[in-house]
Amino acid sequence: MRRLFIHLLTCSLLAGFLLPETFAQGRAGTPDTLIRNATVLTVTRGTLPNADLLIRNGKIASVGKNLNVGNARVIDATGKYLMPGIVDCHSHSMLDAINEGSLSVTSMTRMNDVLNPHDVDLYRALAGGVTALNLLHGSANAIGGQNTVVKIKYGRPVKEFLFPGAMPGIKFALGENPKRSSFNPQPGQQRRYPATRMGVEEVIREAFTRARDYKKTWDEYRAGLARRDQNLIPPRRDLQLEPLVEVMEGKRYVHAHCYRADEILMLISLANEFGFKIKTFQHTLEGYKVAKEIAQHGAGASIFADNWAYKIEAYDAIPYNAAIMTRAGVNVSMNSDSDERARRLNIEAAKAMRYGDLSEEETLKLITWNPAWQLGIHDRVGSIEVGKDADLAIWNGHPLSVYSRVETTFVDGEVFFDRQKDLARRADLLKERAQLEQAEPNRPPSGGASPATPRRRRPTNHDDDIWEGEQP
Amino acid sequence: MPAIRLRIFAALLASAFIFIPRPNFVTAQRSAIDTYAITNARVVTVAGPVIDHGTVVIRDGLIAAVGANVTAPPDARVIDGTGLTVYPGLIDSSTALGMPQPSPTPTPSPGVAGAGFGQFRPETSAISALNSTQPPGLQPEVLAEDFIKPGGEQIEAARNAGITTALTSPRQGIWIGQSALINLAGDTPQQMIVRSPVALHVGFTPLRTGNYPNSLVGVFASLRQMLLDAQRYRQAHQTYERSPRGMRRPNQDRSLAALLPVLDGTMPVVMYADREREISRALDLAQEFKLLPIIAGGLEAGRVADRLRESKVPVLLSLNFPRRITAALPEADAEPVRILRERVEAPKTAAKLVVARVPFAFQSGALTNMADFSVNLLRAIENGLSRDDALRALTLWPAQILGVADRLGTIEAGKIANLTITRGDLFDRNARISHVFIDGRSIDLRPEVGGAQAGAATGTWTLNVNLGSGDIAVTLVLQQEGERLRGSIQGGLGSSEIANASAGPSGDLRFTVPATFEGQTAEATFAGRITGNEMQGTVNVVGRAPGSFTGTKAGAPAMPVASPTPPGEFRSAVKVNAHLSGTWILSIKIGTQTFPGTLNLDHNGRSITGLLQSPFGTTPLTEGTVDFEGFHFISRARIDGRVVEMAVEGNTDGNEILGTVDSEIGFALFAGFRKR
Repeated sequence: MRRLFIHLLTCSLLAGFLLPETFAQGRAGTPDTLIRNATVLTVTRGTLPNADLLIRNGKIASVGKNLNVGNARVIDATGKYLMPGIVDCHSHSMLDAINEGSLSVTSMTRMNDVLNPHDVDLYRALAGGVTALNLLHGSANAIGGQNTVVKIKYGRPVKEFLFPGAMPGIKFALGENPKRSSFNPQPGQQRRYPATRMGVEEVIREAFTRARDYKKTWDEYRAGLARRDQNLIPPRRDLQLEPLVEVMEGKRYVHAHCYRADEILMLISLANEFGFKIKTFQHTLEGYKVAKEIAQHGAGASIFADNWAYKIEAYDAIPYNAAIMTRAGVNVSMNSDSDERARRLNIEAAKAMRYGDLSEEETLKLITWNPAWQLGIHDRVGSIEVGKDADLAIWNGHPLSVYSRVETTFVDGEVFFDRQKDLARRADLLKERAQLEQAEPNRPPSGGASPATPRRRRPTNHDDDIWEGEQP
Repeated sequence: MPAIRLRIFAALLASAFIFIPRPNFVTAQRSAIDTYAITNARVVTVAGPVIDHGTVVIRDGLIAAVGANVTAPPDARVIDGTGLTVYPGLIDSSTALGMPQPSPTPTPSPGVAGAGFGQFRPETSAISALNSTQPPGLQPEVLAEDFIKPGGEQIEAARNAGITTALTSPRQGIWIGQSALINLAGDTPQQMIVRSPVALHVGFTPLRTGNYPNSLVGVFASLRQMLLDAQRYRQAHQTYERSPRGMRRPNQDRSLAALLPVLDGTMPVVMYADREREISRALDLAQEFKLLPIIAGGLEAGRVADRLRESKVPVLLSLNFPRRITAALPEADAEPVRILRERVEAPKTAAKLVVARVPFAFQSGALTNMADFSVNLLRAIENGLSRDDALRALTLWPAQILGVADRLGTIEAGKIANLTITRGDLFDRNARISHVFIDGRSIDLRPEVGGAQAGAATGTWTLNVNLGSGDIAVTLVLQQEGERLRGSIQGGLGSSEIANASAGPSGDLRFTVPATFEGQTAEATFAGRITGNEMQGTVNVVGRAPGSFTGTKAGAPAMPVASPTPPGEFRSAVKVNAHLSGTWILSIKIGTQTFPGTLNLDHNGRSITGLLQSPFGTTPLTEGTVDFEGFHFISRARIDGRVVEMAVEGNTDGNEILGTVDSEIGFALFAGFRKR
C-alpha cells in the first residue's frame, strides 16, 4: 500500500505537481534527521561548536546553529562530536577471494564478483566510524584485479553497497609479494615468472605493450567497420587487456602496492612511458624518500601509520612518513589493509599528530577527504558540506582520542550502527544462540572432526599478504 | 568388553553393506516377464486424484494402463497390491551416479584450518575430454554419457531408497560438462540414458592444480572470457561459412562450440550455488550472457525467492542439509550464530519456495548415505512442506524442469514404467520400499539390514556343479534376511551377482545367475535345499540338459551375531587361521565422504605387517596382531606437520573386510574386499 502511495507520488512528480522534497529522490519516505548541538568536525571548513546538522534524503541538507526541526527525528549530540564517515582506501573485507595467484597479470578479475555483504567485519568497521571501503585484489601479482569501492550498507543486498560514480580502479603490486608468489609451486607446476624486482617491471611493461597493440587492433577493426569492409570478424575481446587500455585512457585508477623508493620511481617512469598516471601508491613506507617525485606525478599515498620492519622491504619505514609526504604536497591517507585495524583508523590517523605534528584538520583528512580524493569520491563524501552524502559518525569524544568511541554511524542518512541498540540486542542474541545450539543439526556429533581453535583462526590482518584466504 | 565390541562390530557390518564395493555387480536382472499388474493398490498418480484401490499394468517397459477399473491381463504377473502404495518412480535431480570417483590424495594444508578427517579435501581430478583447448575442469564439451558406468553400490543404494531416475554429471570443475538423465537400471549406459545431454553444469570451485583460475575471482573471469570467446567463435564461423573464399579458416574448438547451445538458450545451465550471494552471482552471470539458469544446491534459495520467480529460474534443491560435523571442544571458537541459524533454516527452504511459487525439485546433493535422503525429506515436511508437494518435487517437478514430463514423472498410460512402491505412505517414518520398477522391470531390492536375523543360507558355500562334463568348483556367497536372498558366485562359472533369489523357511532356495561356461554366458537357474551346512539341488541352463550341484558351507557363520559372547567361549567372527595376507581394496568413510584405500597385509601366525594406503598417505603397520576378535594394528601418518596415530581394528569374512580407524583427529569406517 505504502509502495503504491509512493509510486503515485512519483508519477505525479513526473506530471509536474509540487511535492514535498522528501519524496523527490533518494530513499523516499525516510524522515529527516536533525543531529543537534554537536561539535561538528567538517574537515574542510573547520570545527563548528554547538552546531546542528540536518539530514534529508540521505544528504547533508544544512549545517548551522539552531536549525529548524520541522518533522525531523532529533538526535541530541550535546557534548559529542560529529565527523564525516571514515574512508578506508585499502580493504579486503567482504571478499570471498582476494588473490588470483596463478598468473602475474590478473587484470581480468573483478572483486565485484566476490562480494559478501554478510561479512561481520563490515559491522565492526561501522562501529569504528568507517562508511566506505576500497576493496582491493591482493598483491600476489604485478598486475592484479579490478577493485570495487563500496558504502557499508550492512544488511542490504550487494548492489546497494556499490559506491555510485566511484572511479574504477586496478591493483598493481611491486616488490616482495609479486616475486615471492613465484616460489614454492605445487608439484607439476612451473615456477611462475617473475622472481625478481626487475622481472616485475618487465611484466608490467610487457602487459601494457600488449594492451597498446590490443587497442590498435580494435581501432583498426572499427576503422574497417567505418569503411564498410566485408567479412570483418571482430578481434577477440580480451578481459585481461581491456582494463589496461582503460588505464591508458585515464578511465581507471591504478592503486599500486609498493614499499621501496626505487620501485616507486620505477613505476612513475614506466607510467610516464605509457602515458598514464598512478592514482595511489599503497603502503608506500619509503614514500618520504621520494615525496617530491610522488607529488610531482600527482599521485596520492595510502599508508600504514607504523608497521616498520615487519618485513625486509619495510625496514626503512618511519612514523614521520605521513607528515613528511603531507608537507611535500602529497595527498596521504591512512588505510587498514586489515579487518581488525579498520575498527580504529582514527587512532592510526592520530599517530601522525604525535609523529610529525600534523594539524587536527590535516590529521582528520588522512582518513576522510584524502582517501575520498584517492578514490574519486571526494565530491560525495570525505567532509561535512551541504549537498554531500550523509555518511557520518557521532563520537562520544574527540575522534583523535584513544578514549573515544562511536555512538552512531550513518550511511546515506540511514543509521547502520547504533551503540545503544547494539548493547540492547546482545542479551537476545545470547538467548537465540542458546536455543540454536540445542537444535538437532547444531549438536556436536560424537567423534566428529576437531573444530577450529583460536590458534587456527583466520587472521584478520592481511598486510597485503599474498596467500590470505587463497591457499588451497 | 568383547561383547560390546562384537555388538558394535555387528552394527558396523550391518551399516557397511552400503560401502562394500561389488566389482562385478550386474545391475539389471534379466527377467523373461515383461508384463506386470499391481492390483488392488493405492495408486498416487500425481497426474490426478489418488486411486484408493487401483491397478497399474506394465507392459514392455511402459505403463499400459492405470485405474480403478483396470483388470490384469491374463499374461501378466500379478502383484497383490493390498496394503501397498504405488508412486511414480522418484527422480534425484542432481547426482554423480555412475560417474568415475575422484581419487583423493592427502593435502598438506598450511594456513587451512584443521587437518582433521572432516577437513580433509580430496584433490580435484576432473574428467578430461580429448583434444581439448582447455584444461580439465574448463571443458564444457565433456559429456556425462561418455563416462557412465552401470551398476555399483551407489546406484543400488539410490534404488533401495526408491529412486528410479537421476540426473548425473561429474562433480569437479568449473565448466563441469553436460549431464545425462539416466534410469538406474540397465546393463549398458545406452540402455540407461533417458535423455542426454540435459544441461551444461557449472561449478564455481577453483582449479586445484595451481593453474589459472585458482580463486573464485579467477573463476568468474575465466567463465566470462570463455563465454565471450564462444560468442566470437560463433560469429567467426558464421562469417566464414557465408563466404569461405578469400578468408582464413577460423580454428575449430570443441570447448567453445559446446557453449553455443547455452548461449542460444537451447540448453539450460545448471549452476551450483547454495548461499544467497552465490545464487545472486550465478544469476548475474546468467543475466549477463542471457543463459537459462537452473540453480543446484539452493540452501538459501528462500532468500532469493522473488528474483528466482521473476526470472523463472528453477532450483534443484539439495536434501544434503548442513549439520555440525565437528566435535565439542572447550577451547574452540563458538560457531557463528549465522551458521547455527543456517542449519536450522535449511529444511524450511522447500516450503518457502512453494509459497514463493519458485519451481523446484529435490536432489540428494552428494549425500553418501541414502538413509539421510528420507530423513531430511521428512524434516522438510516437518518444516511446512506438504506431502503432496514433497512428492511432486520428487516426480513431476523434476520431470518438468529437466524436460521429460512427457515420458516421466507421473503414472499415466504410455509413460515409462518407473514405479516406486511402498508399504505404508512414502513419507511415514516406518514406510518401507517394497518394489521398484524401472523401465518396466522389477528391481531386486537389497534386504533391510540391521533388523532381521541372518538366515540359514548366509555364508560362504563351496559348490560342486555338474553340468554333464565333470565337477565345476564354484564359491557362492549368500546373505539371507527372512525370505530375501542376495549373493554372488565366483569360480568355474565366472563371477556374477545372483538374481531372482529367494529362500524358504524350510531351507528351499532358488536363484538365477549368468553363468559363463565353455566360452558362453547363459542364465543358470539353481534350485535346491539346505540342510545344516550342506545344500544340494538342480541347475538348469538354457539349451542344456539339467545338471546338479552339491555344496558345503565353510566354517562358522559369516555374519557375526550381536549377542554377548560368554566368557571363554570362542564365537569366532574371524577365523584365527584365516589367512589375511593379500591386497585389500578399501572404501574409507570419513564424515560423509568416502575415499579409496589399500591395505597390504602380510599375515604370519598371530601377527600382521604391511602397508596402509589411505587419504593420509602410505604408512606402515606396527603392533599388528590377529586374535579371535579380528585384527588390530597401529599406523602413524604425518598430518599437518604432526604425527597422528591411527588405531585400526577390523575383521574379515572370506574376501570381505570391515573395520574402524580411531585417532585423535577423528573416526572413520572402512570396508572392502580382497583383490584377486
